[in-house]
Amino acid sequence: MKDKKFSLKNPSLQSILTSLICIILGLLIGYIVLLMINPAGAGEAIKTILLNFLSRSSAAAQMKALGNTLAKTAPLLMCALSICFCYKVGLFNIGAPGQYEAGACIGLYAALAWHMNWVLCLIFAALAGAVVGAISGALKAYRNVNEVISGIMLNWIMLYLTNMVLSSKKVKDPASPYTIKLMSGNKSALIPSAGLNKLFANNTTVTIAIPLAILFAILIWVILSKTKFGYELRATGFNKEAARYAGMKEKQNIIITLAIGGALAGVGAAFLFLTGYQEWSTTQTSVPGMGFNGIAATFLGGLHPIGTIFASFFIQSITDGGALINKSVYPSQISDLISSIIIYLCAFVLFFKYALNKWISKRDKGGPNVNDVPVTDNAAKKEGGDK
Amino acid sequence: MVLLLQYTIIFASVLCLVALGGCFSEHSGVINLGLEGIMVMGALGGAVTMFLLPAGTSKIVIVLATTLFAILIGMIYSCLLGLACINFKADQTLVGTAMNLLATAAATVFVRAMNTSINPDNVSSSIQYIQPKKAFLKYIGGFEFNWFMVMAVVLLIASWFVLYKTKFGLRLMACGENPQAADSVGINVYKMRWAGVLISGFLGGLGGIVYITAGVSEWKFEMGVAGFGFLALAVMIFGQWKPTRIALAALLFGLFRALSNVYTGIPILAAMKLPSTVYNMLPYIISLVVLAFTSKNSRAPKAEGIPYDKGMR
Amino acid sequence: MDAPYAIEMVNITKRFPGIIANDNITLQLRKGEIHALLGENGAGKSTLMSVLFGLYQAEEGVIKKDGKEVKINNPNDANDLGIGMVHQHFKLVQCFTVLENIILGVESTKGGVLQMDEARAKVKALSEKYGLQVDPDAKIEDITVGMQQRTEILKMLFRDNEILIFDEPTAVLTPQEIEELMVIMNNLREEGKSILFITHKLNEIKAVADRVTVLRRGKYIGTVDVATTSKEEMSRMMVGRDVNMVVDKEPAKPGDVILKVENMTVASKMHSNNAVKHVNLEVHEGEIVCIAGIDGNGQTEFVYGLTGMEPLVEGKITLCGEDITKSSIRQDRHKHGLVLDYPLEYNMILQRYYQPDFTSGAGFLKRKEIREYSERLEKEYDVRSGQGPITIARAMSGGNQQKAIIAREIDKDHKLLVAVQPTRGLDVGAIEGVHRQLIEERDNGRAVLLISLELEEVMNVPDRILVMYEGEIVGELDPKKTTVEELGLYMAGAKRNVTVDANSSEIEESEVIDTAAARKEEA
Repeated sequence: MKDKKFSLKNPSLQSILTSLICIILGLLIGYIVLLMINPAGAGEAIKTILLNFLSRSSAAAQMKALGNTLAKTAPLLMCALSICFCYKVGLFNIGAPGQYEAGACIGLYAALAWHMNWVLCLIFAALAGAVVGAISGALKAYRNVNEVISGIMLNWIMLYLTNMVLSSKKVKDPASPYTIKLMSGNKSALIPSAGLNKLFANNTTVTIAIPLAILFAILIWVILSKTKFGYELRATGFNKEAARYAGMKEKQNIIITLAIGGALAGVGAAFLFLTGYQEWSTTQTSVPGMGFNGIAATFLGGLHPIGTIFASFFIQSITDGGALINKSVYPSQISDLISSIIIYLCAFVLFFKYALNKWISKRDKGGPNVNDVPVTDNAAKKEGGDK
Repeated sequence: MVLLLQYTIIFASVLCLVALGGCFSEHSGVINLGLEGIMVMGALGGAVTMFLLPAGTSKIVIVLATTLFAILIGMIYSCLLGLACINFKADQTLVGTAMNLLATAAATVFVRAMNTSINPDNVSSSIQYIQPKKAFLKYIGGFEFNWFMVMAVVLLIASWFVLYKTKFGLRLMACGENPQAADSVGINVYKMRWAGVLISGFLGGLGGIVYITAGVSEWKFEMGVAGFGFLALAVMIFGQWKPTRIALAALLFGLFRALSNVYTGIPILAAMKLPSTVYNMLPYIISLVVLAFTSKNSRAPKAEGIPYDKGMR
Repeated sequence: MDAPYAIEMVNITKRFPGIIANDNITLQLRKGEIHALLGENGAGKSTLMSVLFGLYQAEEGVIKKDGKEVKINNPNDANDLGIGMVHQHFKLVQCFTVLENIILGVESTKGGVLQMDEARAKVKALSEKYGLQVDPDAKIEDITVGMQQRTEILKMLFRDNEILIFDEPTAVLTPQEIEELMVIMNNLREEGKSILFITHKLNEIKAVADRVTVLRRGKYIGTVDVATTSKEEMSRMMVGRDVNMVVDKEPAKPGDVILKVENMTVASKMHSNNAVKHVNLEVHEGEIVCIAGIDGNGQTEFVYGLTGMEPLVEGKITLCGEDITKSSIRQDRHKHGLVLDYPLEYNMILQRYYQPDFTSGAGFLKRKEIREYSERLEKEYDVRSGQGPITIARAMSGGNQQKAIIAREIDKDHKLLVAVQPTRGLDVGAIEGVHRQLIEERDNGRAVLLISLELEEVMNVPDRILVMYEGEIVGELDPKKTTVEELGLYMAGAKRNVTVDANSSEIEESEVIDTAAARKEEA
């Protein structure tokens, strides 16, 4: 009992717990929607969404499907990291889809028009994303434009710009609205698989992009928590005044942060389009959902780069699972519905934590309290020691 | 040229309505980034109403019922914002974003489920309203007059009146500027903020149905409303949170948006042979430029975005 | 014959965990009098007012209106009883007009349309009746603080309030505006309004008040007639005699000048007047100089000006012979910031994180060194926290947050230490610790500039006292030779021995001519 009490106060555990509450509530609402559409198959459908690849019949098919999910988790994770990184510095990078589009645009152009190898394409994609991010950053720092609004505007601008650039004869397949397949256009631009595809029933879209994305997550975590640079950025995000008084350059930090966020999202696009998983459709009229799903993964991951890895996989898995349900009865967008409900519920995380701590402190009342009088309500959660 | 005028006015009507919605919400102190989602929901409510009304329903009933349901659904949906941001003091940016994503997903699921239930082979996320849409239109020469244009003008005047000439408007704006002051004279800040959010649901929902009926007779709900809610926010900022200026800003933005629909019909523009994507981008680029020049000295309500807590006096 | 009481607060006791904020306090306001409520910071005045406005419920005691017991559960109840208040921070909507602010909450409408003309006429009539000149159609953001205050007064009058409370109304006003306010208060009294006037300024009490109730540390000290009580007596009642916390220290051995401030003037953010006016001072190595004064007399702005957080209107600052007036980043400045969401150890290095001690060449934070450094500071300066270095600063008590900042600032390599209210919120033991450290600093040959509101601290710690009143240094005192009563008089603006432009210690003792007081006697 005592141990449990202490562990409940652990902030990381609380984050996981609240994320689970969000997931369960999100799934529950999704299930109710399915019931309303058609009660007969609702149980089966929600099971399919949850199980995703496991609902395939053979082991090989399962591995192949898992490979597909992982291949799309990598770009999603990059977008989530982009949003997570910026959020830690107090910026809401809803412009991640636009930075992702820029990455796709320049990454694919470099691959197909300039015939570069994948490393260079990746770098170009990162730079393109960084430039778009920096535009938002500069507008915020020098012109006081809310990064959310400029981000949304840039999402649409980049969508049309990308469509325009990738419609060029050099990169577009003349017979379809899609860009030329890398397989035929420029094999060297494909991110190598390094044998990983063998593990997933020869799924060629499984590449080193997956471990690279995880490495990026660790890198972001290290930068944010272990370096002087991260120390400065987070201080700026937490308390602008204190950061300024400590001699940190607030405006510069805003631009750098959004540029880094942009680079991450740009790399995310490269991690999708340079694996040959899919081609860019030059006639698309809506902003790709990858960036927006990244928001779900970020908040579900408790705003922690490592948590984001698991959250990204979960979100991608239910999205792919949604595509497997009986489409003649249920719409596959039910997964989008579930993830957006999860994002909405994440807005209540602070409240959940507050309620949890209130409940804990109520239960602990009368017990010995060796600590200081907490100055805030949510302070109670810091009391539990892990020593 | 008539076509350009017609599209400019109808798009300006949308932007004006939605921006006024944002204006009410922000004057009460709540930033409404979920306008996009509210528009989608309003559009859904209106489109479904038009779709379900039996053929032969009188024009006036179609107009009234469609408008009413768009507004109603918009208001119901805006409660998500009110609940999270006013009562639970959640992050307004996050909630707004979630609402935008949720609206598109929910509308798509709903429309597809509806279509499939009527015809098992129909898995599209579109609703057609060719016939009922005609109820809104009246041709005056080549000009396609739309009753929504009248509604926009009426609501614009009403908004101006409510904000500046009534007790409610005075109290609402006090809550967005200095909620502590409002509270000290016995005004219930939470109630006023709820009112602001609900009005933004009203106007946003109406704007949604106007938008999807503006140029086309069928809407694919997977597309949401293409960032129009955010364009409206840009209009609101450019309009400095004042109804009259918002109307002018809406006309300007409406013009740029209309160009993408009609540029082929304008000889000079057609001769320039710019790709259509340029015209698609134009409203967004213009709004970025405009924001860059107007945000620096913005007169945003001082307390917007800050949850009000009675305990923190 | 004494007038009956308009409002009475009888035997009010309000406890908070660990502290009795109001201990059996009785305050009786007569009809048609100006009644001053006097007390130092933390004496319990604001708690008492919060009880009156229903923000807190007292554990004991009753509130009576016109002799009948009433229950006040929220500010609306107070408003209904005709109690109005001019808050220290005005409750005005900046972009509204004066008239709009006045009618807010009590608007009259016809067919849903605001009826402004009627209200405008009433406001104009009230303005004339009480001498409250203000343009009803001017926007609040365009008018002076004095006019904003009149708007607040008009707000109360428009609501026909009978009991008017002024919470330190003169803190933000210029001398002329104060004088006008005194006239207005007199007018209000003549019209039969009952006024409760919260202040620390003895001159003002002398100028307008009939009676004064004094609180000290949550306790009721007494209620006396102003006319028959001298300022010295009131000062004694306010500060008490029990100032006997003596700090052991050697006499100071001042050396070279470390900090020299010449003619410093800093603009105010609150009002158009300057908050700091032509301040001159020197701090030598090996001495502690204290700037004493009541809160809100320009100390904050002085520190901002000194540390480069606010630009100077004019003046020059020299540190160790180097002109630092214009340098953009001053490494030596005092920073009273914590990143509350950072752990304690990260806060301990907030101004030094980039130094090789804490950051490796590759840009990584040296976690072990930071941890050790933080642990050392915590031990040396007795900073207590739940989990040591990894405690999130937000979860620490205010006092310990304070101590962490002190530890960080003192531990830095520096010639000058600026300590702003270093003992605020600390318990007695901790206060002693901080004082010991300040004196140790001094004995190590450093220059210490202490900004304090606490009289005991002012009397015991420094080697020289400079009293700041309304942005000016009005007195230089030797703590060994002065008394608390004398200090109180300086702090309350009743006495001065330094003229505005003097930068030597030319002492010219003179009572400030108090025009408002003179006016009252004429009346």
